[in-house]
Amino acid sequence: MLLFFVASGFSLVFGMMGVLNITHSAFYMLGAYLGYTLFIKTGNFWLALIIAPIPVGLLGALVERFFLRKVHAYGHAYELLITLGIFFVIGEVVKWIWGNFILPAKFPSALSGSAHVMGLTYPVYRLFILSISFAVLIILLYIFLRTRVGIAIRAAVSDADMVNCLGINVSRLFLWVFSCGAALASLAGVVAGPLLSTYPGMGLDMLVDLFVVVVVGGLGSLGGTFLAALIIGELQSFGVLFIPQLALVFQFLLMAIVLIIRPAGLMGEKV
Amino acid sequence: MKNLTVRQIGIIVVAVLLILIAPRFLKVVQIRILNEIAYFSLFAISFNLLFGYAGLLSFGHAAYFGLGAYTTALLLKHVTGIPLLLSILMGGIAGAFGGAVVGLFCVRRKASYFVLLTLAFNQLIWALAWKWRTLTGGSDGIGGFAPKTINFGIITFDMTKAETIYYLTVSIVIPLLLLVRYLMKTPFGNTTVAIKVNEERAAFLGYNVNLSKHLIFTCASFFAGIAGSLFALFQDFVATSAVDLLMSTEVIMMTFLGGTGSFFGPVLGAAIFVYFTDWISSLTDRWEFILGVLFIVLVLYFHQGAIGLIPKRLKSIFESQRRID
Repeated sequence: MLLFFVASGFSLVFGMMGVLNITHSAFYMLGAYLGYTLFIKTGNFWLALIIAPIPVGLLGALVERFFLRKVHAYGHAYELLITLGIFFVIGEVVKWIWGNFILPAKFPSALSGSAHVMGLTYPVYRLFILSISFAVLIILLYIFLRTRVGIAIRAAVSDADMVNCLGINVSRLFLWVFSCGAALASLAGVVAGPLLSTYPGMGLDMLVDLFVVVVVGGLGSLGGTFLAALIIGELQSFGVLFIPQLALVFQFLLMAIVLIIRPAGLMGEKV
Repeated sequence: MKNLTVRQIGIIVVAVLLILIAPRFLKVVQIRILNEIAYFSLFAISFNLLFGYAGLLSFGHAAYFGLGAYTTALLLKHVTGIPLLLSILMGGIAGAFGGAVVGLFCVRRKASYFVLLTLAFNQLIWALAWKWRTLTGGSDGIGGFAPKTINFGIITFDMTKAETIYYLTVSIVIPLLLLVRYLMKTPFGNTTVAIKVNEERAAFLGYNVNLSKHLIFTCASFFAGIAGSLFALFQDFVATSAVDLLMSTEVIMMTFLGGTGSFFGPVLGAAIFVYFTDWISSLTDRWEFILGVLFIVLVLYFHQGAIGLIPKRLKSIFESQRRID
């Protein structure tokens, strides 16, 4: 589920802007670190959860406005490369500020311990992730399918020039989408911190999983991303359980197979 | 090579001579750096074959580099008496084979999907190398396979000396670079550029677009494989770091540092990259940061890379070919 959480923002940005946003996992990492610091300093996890996405969202806006928009005219390759460069820089800055070591996972007290659900014992924190991810899914779907902004965004994807002519500021729309994507990544980072611990390589690790999930699910499709995150998550945990040697291989094999058979992904639209 | 002017031939001769006599005046460390530049040049050129000429952005070019490196390492380790040059050639062939198989699935896909697919296959090969410990040693890698001497019938060289490996690397890389340059001037090379510029029109003109892309992908993988072999030989050690995502991004950086729009750009880029990382990492731990910033600035403002900073007049001496983008 956490995978879906991180991937939703990534999928959002790709679906809307056609940008493979490598910086996304850097935002995720930044969120985890910010969340960790806020949590330690204030002792309040909820405060960290609310505050951490704000600066990262702003940073996302800056990245879109001053870097991405400048290279937009040169095509996908350059957009991808610029996000790669920014990914490296953010990764380094994080090491600079927080040091090059693993920060231990620390659960908020309200969410530690375990609960009994339908006869099964389950850690509360995982249930928390489950519910917050579902909330994100529902909110995003609502925004896209039911509000004016969602309609404008979807219209801008299919024909940006036309939407511009209709009096909607497309570049501002994209700025918002990118910024929201960054904030989402950061939120996911805060939530992931206690579960996976916070470490300098987490951005790169997540990046790879992210790509797999989004591609299997279909680029830009929220439902597909959700489905793929579930499949990959299961594949990872069962793979590790039964055939640990090949668990990693399976994941990428699945991605390759899906891309060969259904290049648009499980629920993506035709390419 | 027909359309070279006398001046250009002169420059090539001088450059080759300089490269050949350089070890006489350099310390061992510097020779090693030159050596690294040599095989990374080949690697970057092979990447630019895809990106600069065919317009295909591969995010998994390290896969073929790694295939070459592992093939050479394993052959030298397990097959006794295999000629060194054959093992290097086999490295290239392994890379080409990998490229041919992956290319089969990738080249039909457009832009972002191509990026993602090449990345997926890169990770697939990486995961194999990581997990198949009995063969590859996982993250511990394979080491100690490089032969101590190399025998050319009459003369035997001492392979433990930095100069010998340097001369071996250079004498393989330079002809291959010239081969790539020649390849790009053939009708095949022109077709590739035509596809980059306007794929639809190239298809309408009757060119088999996918076949051309597949061919160039395989060729690039071959050269990457050879570069990987030379890397393995030089390091005398291969681990998963030869196939990982970082290696794939590093080659992208090298190519962009030098410039994608010209043939020798990536060579310059590899040189800058190797020197820069060596120099900066001796000054500060933050070299990745500086490199990242440099990369962003290049992508934003200097699309031609470092080679674009060389004045036109000076450049025209080196470059006879027309700009490719």
